[in-house]
Amino acid sequence: MSGETQDEGGKGADATPTRRRLLMLGAASASAVVTIRPALAQTAGSVMHCEIPVPDPIRAGNGWIGADGAIVAPDTPGAVRPAPRPFTGEEVKAALRDGMPLPGADYEASRAYMNYIRRLQSGVSGFTCYASLQMPRG
Amino acid sequence: MAALYRADPPALRVTAAADAMTLIYHRPSGITHVVASPVPEILDALDEGPADARSILARLAVAHDLSGEEEAGAAIAARLDEMAAAGLVARA
Repeated sequence: MSGETQDEGGKGADATPTRRRLLMLGAASASAVVTIRPALAQTAGSVMHCEIPVPDPIRAGNGWIGADGAIVAPDTPGAVRPAPRPFTGEEVKAALRDGMPLPGADYEASRAYMNYIRRLQSGVSGFTCYASLQMPRG
Repeated sequence: MAALYRADPPALRVTAAADAMTLIYHRPSGITHVVASPVPEILDALDEGPADARSILARLAVAHDLSGEEEAGAAIAARLDEMAAAGLVARA
């Protein structure tokens, strides 16, 4: 332990005065990180890679997606065809955050798909993925 | 050759102060960490780019008065190990 705090910036040349504060480095053995893994975060490692089928093929059969996100009969006016492939969590997150259309979907289809996704409920394929997207709030 | 460590860009973390602790939500993993000083400061120091323990210490010393310098190197190395295990930093 020696006089460690002496005037390292002796030249005083920096125009921006920085407020120095004491940083306790602590003992090497003193753990400083606790990681929280909530139940839903068990899937968090794959949040961005999880998939949301639009619609859930098991429940929707060959139904189409109405503008409001409901599953409707094929060829219903104003409805769009099912998405050709499931969307990834990352794609849905980008759409939620930035309002970007989902890949491969035009504005109308993307809006219907997003309405479908917002209406997902527990037990429907893609729900856990969508729910886990809701957790991070910046 | 000392190991180099890097951290994800700050935009990939959400940080909130919680009294003496800091909560860090790491977006890529979706995992939240409760950390104590000097972990947030080490992450800040890594914003300048990958560094080994010695360089990190030098960066920390720019803005901070450091206590416990006798074992500073060991303390920083231990924190980096811990942060790497948690996924907050990676060996570059």
